[in-house]
Amino acid sequence: MIRRLVVLALLVGGAVLLEPLRVPTEGVIAPRSLFLFGILLLTADTFGALAHDLGFPRLVGYLVSGLALGPSAMEIVPPGVLQDLSMMKQLAVGTIALLAGAELRLTDLRQRYRPILWILVCQGVAVLVLLTVGILLFRGWVPFMQDLTPWAVVCVALLFATALTVNSPMVTLALLTETRAEGPVAKTTLGVVLVADVVVVLLFTATFSLAQASLGGATEGALPMLVRLLREVLGSIVAGGVIGGLLTLYLRFVRREMVLFAVVVVFATAAVAQALHFELLLSLLVAGFLVENVAPVRAEPLVHALHLMAVPVFVVFFAMAGAELRVQAFVALWPLVLGAALLRFLGVYGGARAGAAWGGAEPVVRRFAWTGLVSQAGVALGLATIVADRLPRIGVAMQTLIVGVIAFNETVGSVVFRRGLELAGEIRER
Amino acid sequence: MQTTLAAIAVVTVGYIFAYLLFDRLRDRYGYVGGAEYVIIGFLLGPQVSGLLNAGQVQDLTPIVSLALGWLGMLLGTYFRLPAMALIEGDHLRIAFAEAVATFLAAGAALLAVFRFLAGASWTQAAVQAVTLGAVATLTSPVAVDAVVDRIRSRSRVPPVLQLTARIDALIAVVAFGLVLAVLHQGQVAPGVRPPTPTEWAVINVAVGVASGVLFHLFLGPRGHLDEGRLFVALAGAIVVASGASYYLNLSPIFTNLILGFILVNSGSAHRDVTRLLLSTERPVYLALLLFAGAAWSPGSVDLLFIAPLFVAIRLAARTLGGGLAGLHVAPPELRAPGLGRGLLALGGVGVAIALNYGQVYPDLHPRLILSATLLAVLLFEIVASREAATYVAGLGDPTSMTAPSAAATRT
Repeated sequence: MIRRLVVLALLVGGAVLLEPLRVPTEGVIAPRSLFLFGILLLTADTFGALAHDLGFPRLVGYLVSGLALGPSAMEIVPPGVLQDLSMMKQLAVGTIALLAGAELRLTDLRQRYRPILWILVCQGVAVLVLLTVGILLFRGWVPFMQDLTPWAVVCVALLFATALTVNSPMVTLALLTETRAEGPVAKTTLGVVLVADVVVVLLFTATFSLAQASLGGATEGALPMLVRLLREVLGSIVAGGVIGGLLTLYLRFVRREMVLFAVVVVFATAAVAQALHFELLLSLLVAGFLVENVAPVRAEPLVHALHLMAVPVFVVFFAMAGAELRVQAFVALWPLVLGAALLRFLGVYGGARAGAAWGGAEPVVRRFAWTGLVSQAGVALGLATIVADRLPRIGVAMQTLIVGVIAFNETVGSVVFRRGLELAGEIRER
Repeated sequence: MQTTLAAIAVVTVGYIFAYLLFDRLRDRYGYVGGAEYVIIGFLLGPQVSGLLNAGQVQDLTPIVSLALGWLGMLLGTYFRLPAMALIEGDHLRIAFAEAVATFLAAGAALLAVFRFLAGASWTQAAVQAVTLGAVATLTSPVAVDAVVDRIRSRSRVPPVLQLTARIDALIAVVAFGLVLAVLHQGQVAPGVRPPTPTEWAVINVAVGVASGVLFHLFLGPRGHLDEGRLFVALAGAIVVASGASYYLNLSPIFTNLILGFILVNSGSAHRDVTRLLLSTERPVYLALLLFAGAAWSPGSVDLLFIAPLFVAIRLAARTLGGGLAGLHVAPPELRAPGLGRGLLALGGVGVAIALNYGQVYPDLHPRLILSATLLAVLLFEIVASREAATYVAGLGDPTSMTAPSAAATRT
């Protein structure tokens, strides 16, 4: 490990030595970005191995490497480089969504729909209630809750709580892939986070329109907004169906160069999703699910290809996610960050345990399913960005606090989930 | 970013389309080329359908640099010293003689063409002549291996043919890498003394050597990584080396050739690395052809006559180089008149060199260089496989070739 760290230090030193010899060039990915991306990849891989040796999930190492090299710390990878490389992140999100969909088996869902739904409802309600009440009680210390009307205070508190209700399919899938975990806890958790992803986005839209209206900045009413959102969700599902059909045809008639084809599908869907305002994650989730469960073809070649891509994709995604964390922004808010994270943790723990019990889940699921619901990552960050962009008066301050809680949960959550899977005896890692 | 995503999507959709259309033909007729991908890329590009506009093609350039590095590294892995030590000296002499003779013949002819027919200065003519000379020298090792594997001749010549293809690629990539270093383009930061041509050449080699050594250390003595993690480490190394070369306006192909050479000769991970690179070679090559097709435009019509002339020069140089090596350098038992017939396949590295040239010399007829290269790829890929197969099949049994000389020795 020390050898690897020395190599990385030498690479960084080499980068510094080459700096004066550079030529000014332009392009979507500048030459400098390409070089630094390589260093980020190797560093993330090294830190991932280090984290693994220390008993942590590899993705903690990826996050830390991104944080260390990113603008928050050493600034070896500046924001411009991250901007240049954002398409890599699109590829990561799309690939993971496709893999997540293909990992969802209809038979498993049929067997476990009761605990999944109960856990989903109970943990969602518990987190919502605890965070809403908590932020209302401590609103005097929360920067974005000042100078608001009583109705706006309630609506904003609800919005804040909703944004933090979301789980992380990325972290869940990354850990399940890394640990090769298989069993009731893994299956139940995956089911909950994937369904929750859709439900929370709908819920977020409703609370967001309420908050926007209460702040007097609503540009469209709650109903049109909900209709638009439903259209987006339905459009994403339809798009997923079409992509699933294409995948099926390819698997039926060609079934070669699957990795390349998967990359095609992800980029093509990303381009279409951006143009038509669909959800990339949802579309590919549906596509993967249909190919695995509905299509009259064997999905193994696709799943195998996606598993081959999974490791590099996770490295890229979490290293870049770490680099994008702005630690300085929420250092001042750390008591609030910890408080909100603690309340959310209590909601997840209590809600998931109660839901698992009421849903008639196995004892192991009752004990450990909550561990997979602590993490937060991409979707939650996306919601935070929407808040910052569309609620100009209070949005940026709220985003800072939300991102602080997400950063905490993203790191701690993966550790907790790994431990949960370990205790449940579901890890099959070599 | 959206345009880049769309561009990548269009290119990859084009790839799938071409794959579906032509792969069955390839299976049936043993055609190893990829000319159809150039055509598909051209149809998708700004010259025909405009599905990929010029800006989108430009945006993909850095990713192409990665692909160039990938092919360069694969080339480097062909030169594993313990295996090379077992090669007979005669084989090496023939291979180097063929490669050097072809390069010199093609380079000299092209120098005359660019200087006296195109009116370029000596320096400009030299850059273009060396670049196209390198392309002319190239032979695709994959294509030659495919023919040799298919025909299974018992002659002693096919291994010479395979070795020559590798040495051709080596000479071509080294020559091109050195010309980019010696006649370097681009400016250094203010206040820094620009390196001399020799220093650029040393920097280029040093980047490759440093990347190779560092990556060897990075993998460690055991080098046992699962496929996913090896891919990450390998991609990281190629991205770093290619990024550094692209950053300095040097050749990622050359840098990664050195990286691959060092890696395959050190540590115990060489088999895994080679296997992984070989498994990705085909998609990388085809993606490059697609990009080249999309990036192609005729450029100056006045100079377009050089493209067919280049094809003729390559054929002549190949024949000359093959004849010289196969008849005058080879010992009697390895004599192979018409060695050049088996070495016509051009392959992806030629396209990679032409694209790399365009990145570094955007003002020195890059379109002409690409046109000439693509024309050569299109034409030679049509005949290369059949010619090579006929040639190898015609070599016959080694005993029938060596018997007369053995009998002559007895008498």
